[in-house]
Amino acid sequence: MQAEDYQDSIKPGLVAMLPRLKRFADLLAGSKREGIALLRRALKRMLAEQHRYQRSIPLDRFAFAELYRQWFEELAAEGGGAREDEDAAQTFAALFPRKEGKDFDPLMAAFLHSLPPQHRATLLLVYGEGFDDIDTGRVLDVAPETIDLRLVRLSASLADCLSGRGQTRARANLARLYAEEAA
Amino acid sequence: MSELSDELLVAYVDGQLAPKQAQAVDKVLAQDDVLSKRVSALQAAHKRLEAAFDAILAGAEADLAAHPVSRPRGFFVSWSALLQASLATAGMVLAAVMLLAGLGWPLKAPEIVWRDSAAVDMEPVGALPRDWREEVARAQALIGRESLEIGAESQTNAELARFQLARMIGPNLLVPELGAEGLRFARAQVLRFEGKPVAQLLYLDAHGAPFALYAKAGEANEEGAFKRYGAIGAVSFAHDGIAYLIAGEADEPSLVRLAGAVRRKENSSGPEAPASATVPPVPNPKPKP
Repeated sequence: MQAEDYQDSIKPGLVAMLPRLKRFADLLAGSKREGIALLRRALKRMLAEQHRYQRSIPLDRFAFAELYRQWFEELAAEGGGAREDEDAAQTFAALFPRKEGKDFDPLMAAFLHSLPPQHRATLLLVYGEGFDDIDTGRVLDVAPETIDLRLVRLSASLADCLSGRGQTRARANLARLYAEEAA
Repeated sequence: MSELSDELLVAYVDGQLAPKQAQAVDKVLAQDDVLSKRVSALQAAHKRLEAAFDAILAGAEADLAAHPVSRPRGFFVSWSALLQASLATAGMVLAAVMLLAGLGWPLKAPEIVWRDSAAVDMEPVGALPRDWREEVARAQALIGRESLEIGAESQTNAELARFQLARMIGPNLLVPELGAEGLRFARAQVLRFEGKPVAQLLYLDAHGAPFALYAKAGEANEEGAFKRYGAIGAVSFAHDGIAYLIAGEADEPSLVRLAGAVRRKENSSGPEAPASATVPPVPNPKPKP
C-alpha cells in the first residue's frame, strides 16, 4: 500500500485556475497540443511536490512559477533549442479562437509568435494576469529590472508594428532588448 | 518634438508615474503631436495585448470544458492521507472529550497540533484559506465508539494496548518495541475509518517529538513509500494483510529507517520469534452453554 496523495490542499486551487495555467502553458509551448501536455506534467509535479508550497505565497504565483520551471527544465534537457516546424506559425495562431470565420488578430498572433517564449510569458503575466514586475520576475526567475526592460522594448516594438512605423523599427527595438538582456 | 524616452512613456501609459510626473507628461503631450501619437500607439498596443490574452483564455476555457485535464476528487481522501492530515486534530478532539469525561490525557499530545500548525498554517494567502473547522470535522470522523471504550490505563500500557488492538485489527498486528530506535511507547488508541478500525500507536523520541504508527487491516502487501504532507513525513508499507503508516516530523531517511525497524520486527514475529515481540494470542471466546 502506498500513502495516497494528500492533494486536497492545493488541488482545488489549481483546478480553479486551470484555464489561466493552460493559457500560460500554451503560450510557452507555442501550441495547444504541447501546451496541454506541458500543463499535465507540471500539475502532476506540483501535486507530487506540493509540500514545497508555502502558504505565505499566493497560489497562482507558485503555480505559474512551477509551470515555467517545468518548461524551462525540459527545454534545457533538450539542449535549449527552440522546437520549430513548418506549421509553427499556424499552430501558434490556433491559440486564438476564430471569430465569425475570421482569424482573431493575425498581426498580434504574428507579433507574439515572433517573440521568445520568455518574452511572451512576460507580456502575459503583466498584461494578461496583472502581475507586477516583482511577481513576474519571481515567476520567470529574473530581476524586476529585466521585466521592466522587456516591457518597455516589447511595448515599443508592438506600438511600432501597430502604428505603421515599420517592421524595421520594431525589429530594432527587439534587437536592442536582446542585446541589453545579453549584457 | 520633445525628448521623452520610451521608458517614461510606457511607465506613463501603465500608470506607474507619480502624479506630478504624470501631470508633467500630460503638459508635454498637449503640445507635441508626435509624442501624443506615440502614447496613443502604446495604449493601443496594451489594449490589443489584453484583448489577445483574453481571447486565448477563452479558448483555453473552451478546450478544458471539452477535454478536462483532471477532475477534483471531491471530499474523498484515502485513509492514510486522512489519517495523516488528522493526526494532530484527532488527538486534540479526543483529548478534549476525555478531559471533559474526567479520564485524563497525556498533555504532550496537543504539542503535535501546535508544532504542525506553526509549520504550515501561516498567514492564509491566495486561493487556499485553511479552515480549522474542516480539519476538526475530519478528525471527528475518525473517532468511533471504540476510541472511548479503551480506558486511559489501557492506552498507556503497551501490553494491554497490544491485546486490545490485536482483537480489533487482527492477530498479525505488531505493536513494536522501538526502544533501540530511540522511541518510547506513549499510548495507543483505536480510530475508525469508513467503518474499519485503525490503530494509532504514539511514541516519543528523546526530545519529546511524537511519532505515530498507524495500522489498518485488509490492505494488500506492498513495498514502502515515503510521502511528505507539510511538515509531516510518512512511510507506508503493508505486511501480512495489515497496512502500516509511520509518521512524524522527521526527514525521509529517519522515517525509512524506522519503517525498516518495524518491518524487521514483523519479519521476526513468526512462530520462533521471542514472545515479547509478538502480539499476545487472541483468546477464543468460550462457547455459551
